[in-house]
Amino acid sequence: MDPKIEKLRKAYDSIPIPDELEALVNQTLSQAMGASGREGSRARKRRGLLVTAASLAAAFVLFVAGINLSPTFAEKAGRLPMVGQLVKVFLLREYTHQEDAYDASLQSPGIEGLENQDLEDFLNAKYLSENKALYETFMADMAALKEAGGGHLGVDSGYLVLTDTAEILSIGRYVVNTVGSSSTVFRYDTIDKVNEILITLPSLFKDDRYIDLISEEIKSQMVAQHQADPNRFFWVEGIEQSVDMPLFERISGDQSFYISAEGELVISFDKYEVAPGYMGVLTFTIPTEVLEDVLVSRAYLK
Amino acid sequence: MNTRRIADYVTENRESHYRLAYSYVKNPDDALDVVQESICKAIHSAHTLTSPEFIKTWFYRIVVNTALDLLRKQKKFVLADDEAFEALHAVVDDPLEDYDLHQALDRLPGHYRTVVVLRFFEDLTLDDIAEVTGLPLSTVKTRLYKSLKMLRLELESESDSDEKGGNTYGS
Repeated sequence: MDPKIEKLRKAYDSIPIPDELEALVNQTLSQAMGASGREGSRARKRRGLLVTAASLAAAFVLFVAGINLSPTFAEKAGRLPMVGQLVKVFLLREYTHQEDAYDASLQSPGIEGLENQDLEDFLNAKYLSENKALYETFMADMAALKEAGGGHLGVDSGYLVLTDTAEILSIGRYVVNTVGSSSTVFRYDTIDKVNEILITLPSLFKDDRYIDLISEEIKSQMVAQHQADPNRFFWVEGIEQSVDMPLFERISGDQSFYISAEGELVISFDKYEVAPGYMGVLTFTIPTEVLEDVLVSRAYLK
Repeated sequence: MNTRRIADYVTENRESHYRLAYSYVKNPDDALDVVQESICKAIHSAHTLTSPEFIKTWFYRIVVNTALDLLRKQKKFVLADDEAFEALHAVVDDPLEDYDLHQALDRLPGHYRTVVVLRFFEDLTLDDIAEVTGLPLSTVKTRLYKSLKMLRLELESESDSDEKGGNTYGS
Protein backbone atom coordinates (compact mmCIF):
# COMPACT_ATOMS: atom_id res chain seq x y z
CA MET A 1 0.00 0.00 0.00
CA ASP A 2 1.06 3.56 -0.62
CA PRO A 3 3.24 4.59 2.35
CA LYS A 4 1.34 7.86 2.63
CA ILE A 5 -1.94 5.99 2.97
CA GLU A 6 -0.25 3.61 5.41
CA LYS A 7 0.76 6.59 7.52
CA LEU A 8 -2.76 7.97 7.48
CA ARG A 9 -4.08 4.59 8.43
CA LYS A 10 -1.71 4.38 11.39
CA ALA A 11 -2.87 7.78 12.55
CA TYR A 12 -6.47 6.63 12.18
CA ASP A 13 -5.83 3.40 14.09
CA SER A 14 -4.19 5.29 16.91
CA ILE A 15 -7.14 7.60 17.52
CA PRO A 16 -7.41 7.16 21.30
CA ILE A 17 -10.53 5.43 22.61
CA PRO A 18 -11.99 7.26 25.62
CA ASP A 19 -12.54 5.14 28.71
CA GLU A 20 -16.20 6.04 28.84
CA LEU A 21 -16.98 4.62 25.39
CA GLU A 22 -17.81 1.12 26.59
CA ALA A 23 -20.08 2.36 29.38
CA LEU A 24 -21.69 4.84 27.01
CA VAL A 25 -22.52 2.12 24.51
CA ASN A 26 -23.97 -0.17 27.19
CA GLN A 27 -25.90 2.68 28.72
CA THR A 28 -27.30 3.83 25.40
CA LEU A 29 -28.31 0.30 24.49
CA SER A 30 -30.14 -0.37 27.71
CA GLN A 31 -31.90 2.98 27.45
CA ALA A 32 -32.80 2.50 23.81
CA MET A 33 -33.83 -1.13 24.18
CA GLY A 34 -35.23 -1.07 27.67
CA ALA A 35 -37.34 2.04 27.31
CA SER A 36 -39.07 4.16 24.69
CA GLY A 37 -37.60 6.49 22.08
CA ARG A 38 -38.16 9.43 24.35
CA GLU A 39 -35.82 7.84 26.88
CA GLY A 40 -33.18 7.48 24.21
CA SER A 41 -33.02 11.17 23.48
CA ARG A 42 -33.10 12.04 27.14
CA ALA A 43 -30.13 9.78 27.70
CA ARG A 44 -28.07 11.90 25.34
CA LYS A 45 -28.52 15.00 27.40
CA ARG A 46 -27.65 13.25 30.62
CA ARG A 47 -24.56 11.58 29.34
CA GLY A 48 -22.04 13.30 31.58
CA LEU A 49 -23.80 12.28 34.77
CA LEU A 50 -24.33 8.68 33.84
CA VAL A 51 -20.83 7.80 32.87
CA THR A 52 -19.47 7.17 36.36
CA ALA A 53 -22.19 4.78 37.39
CA ALA A 54 -22.00 3.09 34.03
CA SER A 55 -18.25 2.57 34.37
CA LEU A 56 -18.81 0.67 37.59
CA ALA A 57 -21.31 -1.51 35.84
CA ALA A 58 -18.85 -2.11 33.05
CA ALA A 59 -16.24 -3.27 35.55
CA PHE A 60 -18.84 -5.53 37.13
CA VAL A 61 -19.56 -7.37 33.90
CA LEU A 62 -15.92 -7.43 32.87
CA PHE A 63 -15.27 -11.04 33.77
CA VAL A 64 -18.22 -12.41 31.87
CA ALA A 65 -17.49 -10.07 29.00
CA GLY A 66 -13.89 -11.23 29.08
CA ILE A 67 -14.89 -14.80 28.51
CA ASN A 68 -17.58 -13.75 26.17
CA LEU A 69 -15.68 -11.43 23.90
CA SER A 70 -12.23 -12.86 24.07
CA PRO A 71 -11.97 -16.56 23.52
CA THR A 72 -8.21 -16.18 24.05
CA PHE A 73 -8.88 -15.00 27.57
CA ALA A 74 -11.06 -18.01 28.24
CA GLU A 75 -8.55 -20.27 26.63
CA LYS A 76 -5.69 -18.98 28.75
CA ALA A 77 -7.73 -19.25 31.91
CA GLY A 78 -8.70 -22.78 30.94
CA ARG A 79 -5.13 -23.93 30.56
CA LEU A 80 -4.08 -22.96 34.05
CA PRO A 81 -2.82 -26.13 35.68
CA MET A 82 -5.19 -26.21 38.60
CA VAL A 83 -6.73 -29.63 38.33
CA GLY A 84 -5.76 -32.04 41.11
CA GLN A 85 -2.98 -34.55 40.74
CA LEU A 86 -5.14 -37.55 40.08
CA VAL A 87 -7.94 -36.30 37.91
CA LYS A 88 -6.60 -34.19 35.08
CA VAL A 89 -8.14 -32.09 32.36
CA PHE A 90 -6.02 -31.65 29.27
CA LEU A 91 -6.29 -30.50 25.68
CA LEU A 92 -7.34 -33.70 23.98
CA ARG A 93 -7.86 -32.62 20.42
CA GLU A 94 -7.69 -29.42 18.43
CA TYR A 95 -9.31 -28.71 15.11
CA THR A 96 -8.33 -25.58 13.26
CA HIS A 97 -9.10 -24.16 9.88
CA GLN A 98 -7.86 -20.77 8.79
CA GLU A 99 -8.52 -19.35 5.40
CA ASP A 100 -9.23 -15.71 4.52
CA ALA A 101 -12.48 -14.80 6.23
CA TYR A 102 -13.13 -18.32 7.51
CA ASP A 103 -11.75 -19.22 10.85
CA ALA A 104 -12.37 -22.21 13.07
CA SER A 105 -10.52 -23.01 16.25
CA LEU A 106 -11.97 -25.90 18.21
CA GLN A 107 -10.51 -27.41 21.34
CA SER A 108 -11.78 -30.52 23.05
CA PRO A 109 -10.92 -31.10 26.67
CA GLY A 110 -10.05 -34.57 27.79
CA ILE A 111 -10.27 -36.01 31.29
CA GLU A 112 -7.90 -38.60 32.69
CA GLY A 113 -7.24 -40.18 36.05
CA LEU A 114 -10.77 -41.27 36.89
CA GLU A 115 -11.06 -44.83 38.20
CA ASN A 116 -14.50 -44.94 36.70
CA GLN A 117 -13.39 -45.64 33.15
CA ASP A 118 -16.93 -45.62 31.78
CA LEU A 119 -17.51 -42.07 32.98
CA GLU A 120 -14.14 -40.93 31.64
CA ASP A 121 -14.77 -42.52 28.25
CA PHE A 122 -18.29 -41.16 28.12
CA LEU A 123 -17.16 -37.56 28.77
CA ASN A 124 -14.18 -37.72 26.43
CA ALA A 125 -16.26 -39.21 23.64
CA LYS A 126 -18.92 -36.54 24.20
CA TYR A 127 -16.39 -33.68 24.04
CA LEU A 128 -14.81 -35.07 20.91
CA SER A 129 -18.08 -35.66 19.10
CA GLU A 130 -19.33 -32.16 20.02
CA ASN A 131 -16.29 -30.60 18.42
CA LYS A 132 -16.32 -32.93 15.46
CA ALA A 133 -19.93 -31.93 14.80
CA LEU A 134 -18.99 -28.24 15.12
CA TYR A 135 -16.15 -28.73 12.65
CA GLU A 136 -18.36 -30.48 10.14
CA THR A 137 -21.04 -27.80 10.42
CA PHE A 138 -18.40 -25.14 9.96
CA MET A 139 -17.00 -26.76 6.83
CA ALA A 140 -20.50 -27.17 5.36
CA ASP A 141 -21.44 -23.56 6.18
CA MET A 142 -18.21 -22.35 4.67
CA ALA A 143 -18.83 -24.24 1.44
CA ALA A 144 -22.37 -22.82 1.28
CA LEU A 145 -21.11 -19.28 1.90
CA LYS A 146 -18.42 -19.59 -0.75
CA GLU A 147 -21.04 -20.79 -3.20
CA ALA A 148 -23.15 -17.76 -2.34
CA GLY A 149 -20.27 -15.38 -3.04
CA GLY A 150 -18.33 -15.31 0.20
CA GLY A 151 -18.66 -13.90 3.67
CA HIS A 152 -17.19 -14.11 7.13
CA LEU A 153 -17.54 -17.13 9.34
CA GLY A 154 -15.91 -18.04 12.58
CA VAL A 155 -16.33 -20.66 15.23
CA ASP A 156 -14.30 -20.96 18.36
CA SER A 157 -14.65 -23.50 21.10
CA GLY A 158 -12.69 -24.31 24.20
CA TYR A 159 -12.99 -25.11 27.86
CA LEU A 160 -12.46 -23.76 31.33
CA VAL A 161 -11.91 -25.56 34.60
CA LEU A 162 -14.31 -23.66 36.84
CA THR A 163 -13.99 -25.58 40.05
CA ASP A 164 -11.38 -28.04 41.16
CA THR A 165 -11.57 -28.95 44.82
CA ALA A 166 -10.93 -32.24 46.58
CA GLU A 167 -14.54 -33.21 45.90
CA ILE A 168 -15.76 -31.39 42.84
CA LEU A 169 -14.55 -30.84 39.32
CA SER A 170 -16.61 -28.49 37.12
CA ILE A 171 -15.64 -28.06 33.51
CA GLY A 172 -17.24 -25.45 31.28
CA ARG A 173 -17.11 -25.69 27.51
CA TYR A 174 -17.93 -22.73 25.32
CA VAL A 175 -18.75 -22.25 21.68
CA VAL A 176 -18.58 -18.83 20.04
CA ASN A 177 -20.16 -18.57 16.60
CA THR A 178 -19.37 -15.50 14.55
CA VAL A 179 -21.46 -14.60 11.55
CA GLY A 180 -21.54 -10.82 11.52
CA SER A 181 -22.30 -10.81 15.23
CA SER A 182 -21.51 -13.61 17.59
CA SER A 183 -23.37 -15.95 19.86
CA THR A 184 -21.95 -17.82 22.80
CA VAL A 185 -23.06 -21.09 24.32
CA PHE A 186 -21.70 -22.53 27.55
CA ARG A 187 -22.11 -26.14 28.69
CA TYR A 188 -20.86 -27.63 31.94
CA ASP A 189 -20.08 -30.95 33.48
CA THR A 190 -19.69 -31.35 37.20
CA ILE A 191 -18.06 -34.48 38.54
CA ASP A 192 -17.97 -35.82 42.05
CA LYS A 193 -14.28 -36.71 42.22
CA VAL A 194 -14.63 -38.86 45.32
CA ASN A 195 -17.46 -41.07 44.13
CA GLU A 196 -16.62 -40.53 40.48
CA ILE A 197 -20.08 -39.75 39.28
CA LEU A 198 -21.45 -37.09 36.98
CA ILE A 199 -23.74 -34.72 38.86
CA THR A 200 -26.92 -33.66 37.10
CA LEU A 201 -29.11 -30.82 38.29
CA PRO A 202 -32.18 -32.96 39.16
CA SER A 203 -29.95 -35.43 41.04
CA LEU A 204 -29.23 -32.76 43.67
CA PHE A 205 -32.88 -32.43 44.68
CA LYS A 206 -35.66 -34.46 46.22
CA ASP A 207 -38.27 -33.37 43.69
CA ASP A 208 -39.19 -30.77 41.06
CA ARG A 209 -39.75 -27.94 43.51
CA TYR A 210 -36.17 -26.80 42.86
CA ILE A 211 -37.20 -25.44 39.45
CA ASP A 212 -39.55 -22.83 40.91
CA LEU A 213 -37.32 -22.04 43.89
CA ILE A 214 -34.31 -21.36 41.69
CA SER A 215 -36.37 -19.48 39.08
CA GLU A 216 -37.87 -17.13 41.67
CA GLU A 217 -34.46 -16.50 43.20
CA ILE A 218 -33.00 -15.64 39.79
CA LYS A 219 -35.91 -13.32 38.94
CA SER A 220 -35.45 -11.39 42.14
CA GLN A 221 -31.68 -11.19 41.58
CA MET A 222 -32.33 -9.84 38.06
CA VAL A 223 -34.68 -7.14 39.30
CA ALA A 224 -32.33 -6.24 42.16
CA GLN A 225 -29.36 -5.96 39.81
CA HIS A 226 -31.36 -3.75 37.47
CA GLN A 227 -32.51 -1.52 40.29
CA ALA A 228 -28.97 -1.15 41.58
CA ASP A 229 -27.76 -0.38 38.07
CA PRO A 230 -30.01 0.22 35.02
CA ASN A 231 -27.20 -1.06 32.78
CA ARG A 232 -27.94 -4.54 34.02
CA PHE A 233 -30.90 -5.40 31.85
CA PHE A 234 -32.88 -8.64 31.67
CA TRP A 235 -35.99 -9.85 29.92
CA VAL A 236 -37.95 -10.40 33.09
CA GLU A 237 -41.15 -9.26 34.73
CA GLY A 238 -40.49 -6.31 37.02
CA ILE A 239 -38.22 -4.49 34.56
CA GLU A 240 -39.86 -2.16 32.07
CA GLN A 241 -39.57 -3.62 28.56
CA SER A 242 -40.02 -1.81 25.28
CA VAL A 243 -38.99 -4.53 22.87
CA ASP A 244 -41.38 -7.44 22.78
CA MET A 245 -39.10 -10.22 23.99
CA PRO A 246 -40.35 -13.37 25.69
CA LEU A 247 -39.79 -12.91 29.41
CA PHE A 248 -37.84 -15.32 31.57
CA GLU A 249 -40.33 -17.62 33.33
CA ARG A 250 -38.39 -20.51 34.79
CA ILE A 251 -35.23 -22.50 34.30
CA SER A 252 -35.44 -25.81 32.53
CA GLY A 253 -35.11 -28.97 34.58
CA ASP A 254 -31.63 -29.55 33.22
CA GLN A 255 -30.52 -25.92 33.01
CA SER A 256 -26.76 -25.35 32.62
CA PHE A 257 -25.11 -25.22 36.02
CA TYR A 258 -21.93 -25.85 37.90
CA ILE A 259 -20.89 -25.98 41.52
CA SER A 260 -18.49 -23.30 42.69
CA ALA A 261 -15.43 -23.87 44.84
CA GLU A 262 -17.46 -22.44 47.74
CA GLY A 263 -20.01 -25.20 47.23
CA GLU A 264 -22.73 -22.97 45.81
CA LEU A 265 -24.95 -23.74 42.89
CA VAL A 266 -24.31 -21.48 39.89
CA ILE A 267 -26.96 -21.35 37.18
CA SER A 268 -25.83 -20.24 33.73
CA PHE A 269 -27.66 -18.72 30.77
CA ASP A 270 -26.30 -18.47 27.26
CA LYS A 271 -25.90 -15.14 25.58
CA TYR A 272 -29.38 -13.95 24.46
CA GLU A 273 -31.16 -16.56 26.59
CA VAL A 274 -32.56 -14.13 29.18
CA ALA A 275 -31.01 -10.74 28.31
CA PRO A 276 -29.73 -8.64 25.42
CA GLY A 277 -26.48 -9.79 23.82
CA TYR A 278 -24.35 -7.14 25.46
CA MET A 279 -25.01 -8.80 28.82
CA GLY A 280 -23.12 -11.83 27.53
CA VAL A 281 -23.22 -15.23 29.19
CA LEU A 282 -24.90 -14.81 32.56
CA THR A 283 -24.46 -16.71 35.77
CA PHE A 284 -26.45 -16.50 38.99
CA THR A 285 -25.23 -17.91 42.27
CA ILE A 286 -28.06 -19.45 44.26
CA PRO A 287 -27.58 -19.21 48.03
CA THR A 288 -27.82 -22.70 49.48
CA GLU A 289 -30.36 -21.58 52.15
CA VAL A 290 -32.89 -21.02 49.37
CA LEU A 291 -32.65 -24.69 48.45
CA GLU A 292 -32.36 -26.17 51.93
CA ASP A 293 -35.80 -27.83 51.95
CA VAL A 294 -35.40 -29.65 48.66
CA LEU A 295 -31.76 -30.75 48.79
CA VAL A 296 -31.11 -34.48 48.90
CA SER A 297 -28.07 -33.85 51.04
CA ARG A 298 -25.49 -31.22 51.83
CA ALA A 299 -22.77 -33.33 50.26
CA TYR A 300 -22.23 -31.01 47.31
CA LEU A 301 -23.94 -27.74 48.17
CA LYS A 302 -22.65 -26.15 51.35
CA MET B 1 -34.23 -10.58 16.74
CA ASN B 2 -32.75 -7.55 15.02
CA THR B 3 -32.32 -5.46 18.15
CA ARG B 4 -30.33 -8.22 19.82
CA ARG B 5 -28.01 -8.48 16.88
CA ILE B 6 -27.62 -4.75 16.70
CA ALA B 7 -26.88 -4.48 20.41
CA ASP B 8 -24.33 -7.20 20.10
CA TYR B 9 -22.76 -5.72 17.00
CA VAL B 10 -22.43 -2.17 18.32
CA THR B 11 -20.96 -3.45 21.58
CA GLU B 12 -18.29 -5.48 19.88
CA ASN B 13 -17.41 -2.94 17.22
CA ARG B 14 -17.69 0.21 19.32
CA GLU B 15 -14.05 1.19 18.80
CA SER B 16 -14.32 1.09 15.02
CA HIS B 17 -17.49 3.14 15.19
CA TYR B 18 -15.86 5.65 17.49
CA ARG B 19 -12.85 6.07 15.20
CA LEU B 20 -15.07 6.44 12.18
CA ALA B 21 -17.09 9.12 13.95
CA TYR B 22 -13.93 10.79 15.23
CA SER B 23 -12.46 10.95 11.73
CA TYR B 24 -15.30 13.35 10.87
CA VAL B 25 -15.88 15.39 13.98
CA LYS B 26 -12.29 15.52 15.28
CA ASN B 27 -13.02 15.67 18.97
CA PRO B 28 -13.90 13.01 21.56
CA ASP B 29 -17.09 14.66 22.82
CA ASP B 30 -18.70 14.97 19.42
CA ALA B 31 -17.50 11.52 18.44
CA LEU B 32 -19.16 10.02 21.54
CA ASP B 33 -22.33 11.92 20.68
CA VAL B 34 -22.28 10.52 17.17
CA VAL B 35 -21.81 6.96 18.47
CA GLN B 36 -24.62 7.41 20.96
CA GLU B 37 -27.02 8.94 18.50
CA SER B 38 -26.21 6.28 15.92
CA ILE B 39 -27.03 3.51 18.40
CA CYS B 40 -30.37 5.17 19.26
CA LYS B 41 -31.22 5.54 15.58
CA ALA B 42 -30.20 1.95 14.89
CA ILE B 43 -32.32 0.48 17.69
CA HIS B 44 -35.33 2.58 16.74
CA SER B 45 -35.08 1.71 13.07
CA ALA B 46 -34.09 -1.90 13.59
CA HIS B 47 -36.85 -3.01 11.24
CA THR B 48 -35.04 -1.38 8.30
CA LEU B 49 -32.21 -3.87 8.63
CA THR B 50 -33.50 -6.46 6.21
CA SER B 51 -30.83 -9.10 6.63
CA PRO B 52 -28.18 -9.66 9.32
CA GLU B 53 -25.29 -9.79 6.86
CA PHE B 54 -25.91 -6.14 5.96
CA ILE B 55 -25.51 -4.99 9.55
CA LYS B 56 -22.04 -3.53 9.06
CA THR B 57 -22.83 -1.41 6.01
CA TRP B 58 -26.22 -0.53 7.48
CA PHE B 59 -24.69 0.73 10.72
CA TYR B 60 -21.75 2.47 9.05
CA ARG B 61 -24.25 4.34 6.95
CA ILE B 62 -25.98 5.55 10.09
CA VAL B 63 -22.68 6.63 11.66
CA VAL B 64 -21.49 8.44 8.54
CA ASN B 65 -24.80 10.25 8.08
CA THR B 66 -25.02 11.17 11.76
CA ALA B 67 -21.48 12.55 11.68
CA LEU B 68 -22.15 14.54 8.52
CA ASP B 69 -25.39 15.87 10.04
CA LEU B 70 -23.55 17.02 13.12
CA LEU B 71 -20.91 18.78 11.05
CA ARG B 72 -23.62 20.42 8.96
CA LYS B 73 -25.35 21.65 12.09
CA GLN B 74 -22.10 23.02 13.40
CA LYS B 75 -21.44 24.59 9.99
CA LYS B 76 -17.84 23.54 10.22
CA PHE B 77 -18.20 21.93 6.91
CA VAL B 78 -20.32 22.09 3.78
CA LEU B 79 -21.00 19.19 1.47
CA ALA B 80 -19.19 20.05 -1.69
CA ASP B 81 -19.99 19.06 -5.24
CA ASP B 82 -17.35 18.04 -7.76
CA GLU B 83 -16.60 21.61 -8.87
CA ALA B 84 -16.13 22.78 -5.33
CA PHE B 85 -13.89 19.80 -4.77
CA GLU B 86 -11.71 20.72 -7.71
CA ALA B 87 -11.43 24.24 -6.38
CA LEU B 88 -10.54 23.07 -2.90
CA HIS B 89 -7.41 21.18 -3.75
CA ALA B 90 -5.06 24.16 -3.81
CA VAL B 91 -1.95 23.25 -1.90
CA VAL B 92 -1.12 25.02 1.33
CA ASP B 93 2.62 24.95 1.87
CA ASP B 94 3.58 23.57 5.20
CA PRO B 95 6.95 22.34 6.36
CA LEU B 96 5.44 19.55 8.45
CA GLU B 97 4.75 16.59 6.24
CA ASP B 98 2.46 14.76 8.65
CA TYR B 99 0.50 17.87 9.23
CA ASP B 100 0.06 18.16 5.48
CA LEU B 101 -0.99 14.59 5.26
CA HIS B 102 -3.81 15.06 7.71
CA GLN B 103 -4.72 18.40 6.26
CA ALA B 104 -4.96 16.77 2.87
CA LEU B 105 -7.32 14.11 4.15
CA ASP B 106 -9.37 16.61 6.11
CA ARG B 107 -9.71 18.83 3.08
CA LEU B 108 -11.42 16.08 1.15
CA PRO B 109 -15.10 16.89 1.14
CA GLY B 110 -17.84 14.69 2.64
CA HIS B 111 -18.20 11.45 0.79
CA TYR B 112 -14.75 11.70 -0.78
CA ARG B 113 -13.25 11.38 2.65
CA THR B 114 -15.78 8.68 3.54
CA VAL B 115 -14.63 6.61 0.59
CA VAL B 116 -10.96 6.86 1.62
CA VAL B 117 -11.65 6.12 5.28
CA LEU B 118 -13.89 3.15 4.58
CA ARG B 119 -11.67 1.67 1.90
CA PHE B 120 -8.24 2.05 3.47
CA PHE B 121 -8.85 2.35 7.19
CA GLU B 122 -11.91 0.19 7.68
CA ASP B 123 -11.15 -2.28 4.84
CA LEU B 124 -14.60 -2.19 3.28
CA THR B 125 -15.04 -3.38 -0.28
CA LEU B 126 -16.10 -0.92 -2.96
CA ASP B 127 -19.49 -2.63 -3.07
CA ASP B 128 -19.92 -2.12 0.66
CA ILE B 129 -18.91 1.52 0.34
CA ALA B 130 -21.55 1.98 -2.35
CA GLU B 131 -24.03 0.50 0.12
CA VAL B 132 -22.91 2.78 2.97
CA THR B 133 -22.87 5.99 0.96
CA GLY B 134 -25.87 5.20 -1.21
CA LEU B 135 -23.79 6.08 -4.26
CA PRO B 136 -23.57 4.01 -7.44
CA LEU B 137 -20.48 1.79 -7.59
CA SER B 138 -19.09 3.74 -10.51
CA THR B 139 -19.29 6.96 -8.51
CA VAL B 140 -17.51 5.33 -5.58
CA LYS B 141 -14.70 4.27 -7.90
CA THR B 142 -14.45 7.74 -9.40
CA ARG B 143 -14.36 9.36 -6.00
CA LEU B 144 -11.75 6.98 -4.69
CA TYR B 145 -9.62 7.64 -7.72
CA LYS B 146 -10.03 11.39 -7.45
CA SER B 147 -9.39 11.35 -3.71
CA LEU B 148 -6.20 9.38 -4.14
CA LYS B 149 -5.10 11.59 -6.97
CA MET B 150 -5.68 14.63 -4.88
CA LEU B 151 -3.97 13.18 -1.82
CA ARG B 152 -0.99 12.05 -3.82
CA LEU B 153 -0.65 15.31 -5.75
CA GLU B 154 -0.86 17.26 -2.62
CA LEU B 155 1.53 15.05 -0.72
CA GLU B 156 4.06 14.92 -3.48
CA SER B 157 3.72 18.55 -4.31
CA GLU B 158 7.25 19.35 -3.13
CA SER B 159 8.83 17.16 -5.77
CA ASP B 160 6.16 17.39 -8.45
CA SER B 161 5.08 20.97 -8.46
CA ASP B 162 8.48 22.38 -9.40
CA GLU B 163 8.94 20.44 -12.60
CA LYS B 164 5.31 20.46 -13.64
CA GLY B 165 4.72 24.00 -12.65
CA GLY B 166 2.20 23.71 -9.85
CA ASN B 167 -1.36 22.74 -10.56
CA THR B 168 -1.46 19.65 -12.69
CA TYR B 169 -5.15 18.97 -12.37
CA GLY B 170 -7.04 18.07 -15.51
CA SER B 171 -3.87 17.38 -17.48
